[in-house]
Amino acid sequence: MSRVNDVGGMQGFGAVEQESDEPPFHSDWEAHVFAMNRALIGNGVYNLDEFRNAIEGMAPQHYLESSYYEKWLHAISTLLVEKGVVSAGELSAGDGHHHD
Amino acid sequence: MTERFRPGSRVRTSRVDPPHHTRLPRYARGAEGTIVVSQGLHPLPDDRSRGLPSEPLPVYTVRFSARDLFDEGGHAVTVDIWEPHLVPVAEEE
Repeated sequence: MSRVNDVGGMQGFGAVEQESDEPPFHSDWEAHVFAMNRALIGNGVYNLDEFRNAIEGMAPQHYLESSYYEKWLHAISTLLVEKGVVSAGELSAGDGHHHD
Repeated sequence: MTERFRPGSRVRTSRVDPPHHTRLPRYARGAEGTIVVSQGLHPLPDDRSRGLPSEPLPVYTVRFSARDLFDEGGHAVTVDIWEPHLVPVAEEE
């Protein structure tokens, strides 16, 4: 399905920014998101294709406004609710702690 | 699972925009390219993303001319593509 992520060959996004000495993560929370995703896929909670599908299913405006690891966090959250690991209420109760 | 294509085979990609996740990007749909190498057997993401049973299927690295994809550019573009998204192109005499 051609969704908002499928922009290969599309103009208008500007040049790709290249950082010299780019660190693996720009904030500590990004490393936690990375580790959480590896653990959840590694333990079979969901698979890599379900993860990609969850990112691609983001609302277009939300997708375009989100950073790389914000997209990851969104997908993880979506899948954990879908799989019944956490409830939407539990997620929103903890909201606000992971964006800063 | 027998591989249908060999290095050098000419193939055309699907034009279908499926109503689910797929790894065939829009810019590479309906394009003719050449098989470079087999990447072995892997379950189809189209199925696996939906929780459907997915037998391992052949995946190939396919080379396209940038001109064929974008109408400009002198370089090649290679994309790893699952066999169900490819059909053979008859060799012209």
